[in-house]
Amino acid sequence: MAFGKKKGEAKDPLANTPLSGILDGITDLKEQPIPEGHHLLEVDDLHMFFHTKDGVVKAVNGVSYTLDRGETLGVVGESGSGKSVTAMTIMGLIDMPPGKIEGGDVLYRGKSLLKMSEREMQTVRGNDIAMIFQDPMTALNPVYRVGDQIGEPLRIHRGYSKKDAVDRAAELLSMVGIPNAEQRVREYPHEFSGGMRQRAMIAMALACDPDILIADEPTTALDVTIQAQIIELMQKMQEQNGNAIIMITHDLGVVADIADKIMVMYAGNPVEFGTADDIFYNPIHPYTWGLMRSIPEQVTDEKKPLTPIKGNPPSLVTLPKGCSFSPRCPYATDLCRNEVPKTYTLPDGHYSKCHYALDPDFVKGRAPENSRSYSGGTPRVVIDEPAGAPVAGMAKSEPGTVTAVDGALAQKAPEAASAEEGEE
Amino acid sequence: MPDTSTVAEATQTPVYADDVSELDPSQRGNDPLLHVEHLVKEFPVSSSIFRRGKKRSVHAVNDVSFDIYPEETFGLVGESGCGKSTTGRCLMRLINPTSGTVVFNGEDVSNMKGKQLKGLRHDMQYVFQDPYASLNPRMTIGELISEPMYIHNEGGTNEERIDTVRQLLKVVGLNPEHINRYPHEFSGGQRQRIGIARAFALHPKLIICDEPVSALDVSIQAQVLNLLDELQQEFGTAYLFIAHDLSVVQHISDRVAVMYLGSICEMSDWRSLYAEPCHPYSQALLSAVPVADPDLQRSRERIILAGDPPSPIDPPSGCLFHTRCPIAQEICSKEKPELREIEPGHFCACHFAKPFPIEGSSIKL
Repeated sequence: MAFGKKKGEAKDPLANTPLSGILDGITDLKEQPIPEGHHLLEVDDLHMFFHTKDGVVKAVNGVSYTLDRGETLGVVGESGSGKSVTAMTIMGLIDMPPGKIEGGDVLYRGKSLLKMSEREMQTVRGNDIAMIFQDPMTALNPVYRVGDQIGEPLRIHRGYSKKDAVDRAAELLSMVGIPNAEQRVREYPHEFSGGMRQRAMIAMALACDPDILIADEPTTALDVTIQAQIIELMQKMQEQNGNAIIMITHDLGVVADIADKIMVMYAGNPVEFGTADDIFYNPIHPYTWGLMRSIPEQVTDEKKPLTPIKGNPPSLVTLPKGCSFSPRCPYATDLCRNEVPKTYTLPDGHYSKCHYALDPDFVKGRAPENSRSYSGGTPRVVIDEPAGAPVAGMAKSEPGTVTAVDGALAQKAPEAASAEEGEE
Repeated sequence: MPDTSTVAEATQTPVYADDVSELDPSQRGNDPLLHVEHLVKEFPVSSSIFRRGKKRSVHAVNDVSFDIYPEETFGLVGESGCGKSTTGRCLMRLINPTSGTVVFNGEDVSNMKGKQLKGLRHDMQYVFQDPYASLNPRMTIGELISEPMYIHNEGGTNEERIDTVRQLLKVVGLNPEHINRYPHEFSGGQRQRIGIARAFALHPKLIICDEPVSALDVSIQAQVLNLLDELQQEFGTAYLFIAHDLSVVQHISDRVAVMYLGSICEMSDWRSLYAEPCHPYSQALLSAVPVADPDLQRSRERIILAGDPPSPIDPPSGCLFHTRCPIAQEICSKEKPELREIEPGHFCACHFAKPFPIEGSSIKL
């Protein structure tokens, strides 16, 4: 068994796979320029449902965002809110069936990832878009040497020889801060600590210099001091390579640390999307407020009681009528309980799926006290565009085109505009 | 070995210089509810046949001393594998400590047997981390919550016990009509409420909460923390709150101890620990916690520790933290620093904490 051997060659993990040489004849997508008017990654009103025996699980229910090189998108939400499934859908890692794309598209450099053949997707995965998984203990194969595993994408996508791949793996390992990399590449995953395994995972993901790095809860299984090391490493690598990062986490602190843009998800829905400053200092969705009030503040004078969100997240099979947050929302009205809210977008791209998001009177005094939206500080001028009311869910739309207010009302005093809003 | 005579003296008559308002004046000077001294727990490591004769052990808890006073919450915080949970289990004799004394309510726990031990567990209850594994799936929640009463033959007749269970369910925010349901019908947060209701069934004096919220989502976590707070105010129970999440511990605790590799490296009331951490490890730990505030996060200086915690099988000589400490000196690898009182009520095990700071030791957060 390779386990017992100290020296000698490990079994070649790629010896009989059809994957070697798959790159032949297909050009690297990441070398191609981004077509005009497109972003690096565009997720456009994506719907992905699981058809199970118990019913339709609406795991991804209208997710939209754009991402450019060098940017970091933080995706936050509770367990079961569809954060990971969204990322897996983009990577084409969902089994279809039971999964099914019910609408929307994912464009990478202007090309639809959802329409690609499996063979094309294989050139994208690991090469253009790479993923780091939550649990470094289970994501590495225990029977292969770490160096062989890190070198695998290089051999698949770059046609490296086995020896070159291991040499490059050693360089990558030392790049992510593992000492004695030349010896370490010959070790097995069980000889690494949790933090080192996560570093090895990052080295593997970065092996082919991907455009987009999707990190699915990369620090959840780690202690805080190790978490800080990993986050610093990801930021350093991003500075060096200029790749984009999608950081999926349930920890608001982690996204505050790393994200430029943040998407807050609830029950498969992105309920709020904006820059980090928008989300933390100017939140306009009651669920975001609830999340912020639920985390203990770092104070050293007076402890404030936590204000938890009442109840439990809904089952994705039987979503409540109307806004899916309405049963837990302290401010829910009849409108919320009966009508699914549209996406209400501010001029700067900050959007929220709350009927009252653009109503300053509603937001003022209800948002968390330390945010600017609590005092109603930010002027809210609504964009001058006709009300492109979306057909429930399925319409192709970009964030920014869906506006709540029709042209006549735009540029009016925000109070007037919002009054209309409330009655819709 | 730390000079614990001073530690013990000081902890028995704590003077909370700026914390007087927080503790009931009648409490101060009271005997501690729980007194732990020089607690040690070692687990033998089974050696291979080739290494026979060489006895090795995991030093899980390494000379830990602290007190818990009635009606207070004592937080025990540290990274995984630092011995927090082992400490908690030793206190309740779920595992037997290797050496050291644990005095609960004036009685020595370490040599208790049979009936005495049963009596101890009447007054000391445990809330477990995993709400899925700690409830028997074959018992209804009524049976689960009333089981402590059956075991200790308390609570009167069956009907009276069921009444008590209904009341408890109401107190922890569950519907009393669900008394005949099974655990699988409840969500994680609700199960943790059931675990808490069970712990409160006998009105214990101390509850050991071992990571009670770490398996829960943020919004549910806040519900459970608030519940624990309310129950403490109602019943006057003391908590030993074990967690790895510093902000949760800060929120709930009156006093906090930071553990590293089986030893307490800093212990203080929450305010001075979080405002002025003195041990380099506490400083690094606090600075590593990401704050949900992007501006603050960008502006604050952070200490990022290199490497991983050493193995508790073969702990470093001298100060346990010296292998990762940013300010380690020669003395640190030779002499073990004692846990000494640097300010009234504030203990720190570092050679260079106040009043002997060295250049660069006061890392500002």
